[in-house]
Amino acid sequence: MSLDISFIGILIGSIMASSVPLILAASGELITERSGVLNLGVEGMMIIGAISGFALMVITDNLFIAIIVSMLSGVIISLIFGFLTQSLLTNHVATGLALTIFGIGLSAMLGRDFVGIPGKDFPILFSSLRESIPFFGPILFGHSIVLYFAFALPFLTNYFLKKTKLGLVVRAVGDSPASASNQGINVIMVRYCCILYGGGMCGLAGAYLSLIYTPQWIENMTAGRGWIALALVVFATWSPIKVLIGAIIFGGISILQLHMQAVGFRIPVQFLIALPYLMTIIVLVVISRDSRKIKLNTPTSLGRIFYKEK
Amino acid sequence: MATDLRISNISKIYPGCIANDNVSLQFKSGKIYALLGENGAGKSTLVKILSGVISPDNGEVFLNEKNLKLSSPLDAKKNKIGMVFQHFNLFETLSVFENLSIDATEDNKSLRVRINEILKKYNFSIDLDVPVLNLSAGQKQKVEIIRCLLRSPKVLIMDEPTSVLTEQETEELFISLKKFCDEGILIIYITHKLKEVLSLCDEVAVMRKGKVVSVSQTQNEKVETLANKMVGQKLGKIKKKIKISKNKDEIFKVKHLNFYSDDPFETNLFNLNFSVKKGECLGIAGISGNGQNELFQILSGEIITPNTSIIFRNKEIAKLNPKQRREYLMAFSPEDRISQAAVPELKIYENVALNNFKSSNFFEKGLVNERKIKEHSKKILSDFSVNTDNVELKSQFLSGGNLQKLILGRELITAPELLICYNPTWGLDVGAINYIHETLIKINDQEKSTILISTDTEELLKLSDRITVIYKGKLSKIMPSDEVTPEKLGILMGGGSID
Repeated sequence: MSLDISFIGILIGSIMASSVPLILAASGELITERSGVLNLGVEGMMIIGAISGFALMVITDNLFIAIIVSMLSGVIISLIFGFLTQSLLTNHVATGLALTIFGIGLSAMLGRDFVGIPGKDFPILFSSLRESIPFFGPILFGHSIVLYFAFALPFLTNYFLKKTKLGLVVRAVGDSPASASNQGINVIMVRYCCILYGGGMCGLAGAYLSLIYTPQWIENMTAGRGWIALALVVFATWSPIKVLIGAIIFGGISILQLHMQAVGFRIPVQFLIALPYLMTIIVLVVISRDSRKIKLNTPTSLGRIFYKEK
Repeated sequence: MATDLRISNISKIYPGCIANDNVSLQFKSGKIYALLGENGAGKSTLVKILSGVISPDNGEVFLNEKNLKLSSPLDAKKNKIGMVFQHFNLFETLSVFENLSIDATEDNKSLRVRINEILKKYNFSIDLDVPVLNLSAGQKQKVEIIRCLLRSPKVLIMDEPTSVLTEQETEELFISLKKFCDEGILIIYITHKLKEVLSLCDEVAVMRKGKVVSVSQTQNEKVETLANKMVGQKLGKIKKKIKISKNKDEIFKVKHLNFYSDDPFETNLFNLNFSVKKGECLGIAGISGNGQNELFQILSGEIITPNTSIIFRNKEIAKLNPKQRREYLMAFSPEDRISQAAVPELKIYENVALNNFKSSNFFEKGLVNERKIKEHSKKILSDFSVNTDNVELKSQFLSGGNLQKLILGRELITAPELLICYNPTWGLDVGAINYIHETLIKINDQEKSTILISTDTEELLKLSDRITVIYKGKLSKIMPSDEVTPEKLGILMGGGSID
């Protein structure tokens, strides 16, 4: 293995690509959780996004429509969750788990006719710059538009939560839905919106997998990424920037351990496979040690059912 | 412009309880009105209706003869009715400014200017950019008041505003309220504290069991007349004979109690030393959040602190857990009845079984002896006049007063040598408070000791033999309670010094 500089550039580029679905799903879930709703259906919403995006690509041969539909299908399936938890007041945890199981099953059923169909090349931006600049070329250029969006998203999310009125309302609802309601904020509506937004981002994360990262449909192709995204949100203590850091570490070590396996390091494979999970948790725990900040970022009402007094 | 608020024939019925029964009242600006009543009398329901949080089954509200449709808190706001709830409606993790800006219509810059004007006008000092969880209760209340003032209200409703304030903060609040009143804001003041009604309000409406039983001018009323109207019967007066017993044995002695935490919600404790004599009640006063929670948990053994010495009946118990301490005949009654003292989902007898492990043979070979527990529970229910004899009832259906009686009964039936209680009468009505005070005095009469941690100064002065004040995790010197006045306590509770 030659560790020359252009190889490292390519490696970093591929690490970035592998962390995109985590960033998208976790950023979406972060908004949902900041409003006080715990949606464990991330995996289910992602896989529905993956199959619907791929199916639409095959049917319409139009990637733009495919991406939009994958987000819409994420929104629709999260609407089920929203209706159950916000209107029928079901338990968040149980409903979220059901959503994941439902999503995996439904996607397998819908996807039967799409197995083995080759995907389409997704347009990449600035491909000429990628080749012409050593090291920085493969890092900064030659990616899909979704990747650029994903890397901007944590900063946008941070700005939204900290600087905008709507972000303030979301945080307020997550802090104390009863107070928010008494201030005349429509808590149920805010939470619906956050749930649907989370669903849309999870759908997009799924579409990234089936249309861009590995352009094909395989049953259960999200392979637990939804759960990782969920864990990232918690370990990042609901801070968008830390979600980004966690996602990059996880993606990075996942890729690196593959290389280490290929090179034949004398480390048990099982340990290498466990390494991304371990390192992500360790790093996030270390950078999130300020208990004061955690308290300020944690949505106090997370997972609690809110019903309005009548 | 004068404001005239009229409530006409309001009724609100919950399953099994008539919260408001045909309530009609009239208020005019320029006066402060008291709405007085015990817990469960229907005051809170009424103000929730006025603030649009709940809608009445029947009846109407008129503001300056305009019929108001109050179907959401937004409607109340639009109609310039401001409300400060008993349990603050603030967002703890957001900054003061964020809390105030959340429903503002103007931009942040002009909002800040307006807030600063209000701060200056009423002499409030609050840092706008700290999270609300760092504020004292009095400051939080000011934030709530500012939030109302920002909308230039015609009506301001205060629901039990002094339950968390010190004497000084209460005085400040009263000064502000009188100022608001002079500026033409109609003030409705909800309370169950009789003295406040007399010192602050011009007119008082008394509610009992959902009905308005009397409306009168406060100048024609006295504490006793109001109390009798509120309770509907004559109450006996409780006054304890203070015993200063120099030569009695010290049964409980704490030395070098220190506690450090990096949790921003917890208070550190600094080198607390105190002792309790046999048959004595030691009162620990203070505004909530000054370390009482932590102190209670350390005394009960929920938190073990290093290098602390706690001697109880000549044994070192600082390293023992709550169960072991109970076996040495200590008993505990925590502040939060629902989440710390009892499990609301469990039945009464199951709750009784929770802390009697060793002496009572409730469990045999790992099995629950239900018959024995039920008999024991029945005895508690009758001995401590809990208002039910059904031990199968889930504890959550007991009222606060009855639940507290059950908890005290559970703790006391083992005849402990020391009872440590934290706000035992918090949120209870006059009848239940009376009963619990009598019980606590009886314990001392039987030569058993008590430590009473309380935020209610009146209660402390009534029950304690000696009193100390906890402020920011430090104890003041311990004083005989006949040398202590409410004013002195208030100064110490606010961090002042009396020497």
